[in-house]
Amino acid sequence: MDLLTYLSVVLAIFIAFCGFTTLYGKGNPLYSWAEFSYLATATAMSVMWSWTATFGVRYAIQGLIRGELIWVPAIILGILMWFRVYPKYSYLSRVSIAFTMGIALGWGLRTSIFTSFIRQISATIVNLWVPEYGIMYFIARTTIAVSIITMMSFFIYTTEIKGPHLWSATIGEYIMYTAFGAVFAQTFMGRLSLFVGHMQDYMFPVWKQPYTIGAALLVFVILLALDKKGLAQKLAAA
Amino acid sequence: MVEKKVSLLQWMATYDQRWVYLILFLVVLGPMVSPIGMPISVSASTRNWYEKVTALKKGDIVLDSWSTEYSGYMELKPGLLATHRMLINKGVKLFVCLGHPEGFAVANVVFEEELKSYMDKHNYKYGVDYIILGYVFPNVASTIAAVTNFQDAVKTDWKGVSIKGTFLDRIKTGADITMIVDFTTGAGNPGLIDHIVLRFGTPMIQNPIGVSLPGALANLDAKLLQAVLASARGGAELEYLIREPGPGLIMMDAFSLGHYMVIIFIIIGNIGYFGWTKRERARERTTIR
Repeated sequence: MDLLTYLSVVLAIFIAFCGFTTLYGKGNPLYSWAEFSYLATATAMSVMWSWTATFGVRYAIQGLIRGELIWVPAIILGILMWFRVYPKYSYLSRVSIAFTMGIALGWGLRTSIFTSFIRQISATIVNLWVPEYGIMYFIARTTIAVSIITMMSFFIYTTEIKGPHLWSATIGEYIMYTAFGAVFAQTFMGRLSLFVGHMQDYMFPVWKQPYTIGAALLVFVILLALDKKGLAQKLAAA
Repeated sequence: MVEKKVSLLQWMATYDQRWVYLILFLVVLGPMVSPIGMPISVSASTRNWYEKVTALKKGDIVLDSWSTEYSGYMELKPGLLATHRMLINKGVKLFVCLGHPEGFAVANVVFEEELKSYMDKHNYKYGVDYIILGYVFPNVASTIAAVTNFQDAVKTDWKGVSIKGTFLDRIKTGADITMIVDFTTGAGNPGLIDHIVLRFGTPMIQNPIGVSLPGALANLDAKLLQAVLASARGGAELEYLIREPGPGLIMMDAFSLGHYMVIIFIIIGNIGYFGWTKRERARERTTIR
């Protein structure tokens, strides 16, 4: 590994832990530095790749060079979109936005009606009992059917909820709480995976481990010292 | 001034949440320094994914969609690497389409570092067996254009080199794609399902991050997806199934301990809530002021 790559990795580990200082609950200069560095780098990278990969070299310019005039309106609409960042003429960007919205709506309606509604609904209207799939299939399908009916009854607002409707809505309400719990668990699993994945990136190959643990301790000590001196929030970016 | 003694129940309800973060750091870092090797089980969902990928034949053309930025890649890495090992091993032809500008960095890491020795071992070559088309699927419009008339819409790879004369000559429309393998952080391209699966009936399998899993499971139930690999956990299971230990199995110790830790904190928080917070509120309500 060359020296530049080596130093980049060590700096990346340090800056990552500076980013984690947001968990301390108080603004501090280490976090500000990490946050602004990331924003600047990510923005520069996105613009650069978007330019070279989609608009610039790859499609529009190459297309024009080949004599494909279809790219002319696309380039004009693209340039108009950039006026969004110039308040005096930002109204011009509405042309591109309207064009994009119109197309997206047309495409969306054409297919979403199937993928988001019809296919999803038909997937719930199935035989509850299929002998070859066994009892677990029956339990799963029955749970889905009961959950849908009771939850939908919870969202009927145009009538007074009483009697059997009240029972159904209450069951639906508790099923929703269960579903929220499941979604929270999935979310936590996802976030933990991200965190563990990043930590793994900082811990392997093994030569990174002293730097990772050192960076964690260094950042923690600097943060505590800054906080004790009352400088943490004072030096943080507004 | 005499400091009021804090009871255990009060501590459970009011402890500083920063302890949770600190302990989580230790719980994650600890097993990486000193692995435990906790057992994992393989779910039916991962087995289904394994079977779908195994059913592919040498020479089949797979649309390899990565709608992930670098941070999301950390979660998708186990599934992505394990699946690609299977695909490379089978000699499947891949064309990689990115749905996020940062995908370039991910593709570089995967093909130039992570899978390089594996590809060399299987004589899997760029331009012959796989092609990276780059950021060609940023939205629905580009997807429709590509699958309606592929040869007109896509002419070069990610470095601007012509794709003429490669296996991609066989792709005219979405119907010529054998399967779509999608790795997504959820901000993925709906065009894959809406305009390839629905229109051409092309089978699609998806490895989403944990947050997007409920939506993917609904699509699996509606038969819009053929298989779902669940987050990094699914990737670890796949590594186990193909007998190729990788980042997934390494991270599972920290993963399991992290979950145990949160369960314990949820229990502590609930005991604190019912034992102290709720009673404290009741006391406040009944106090004569």
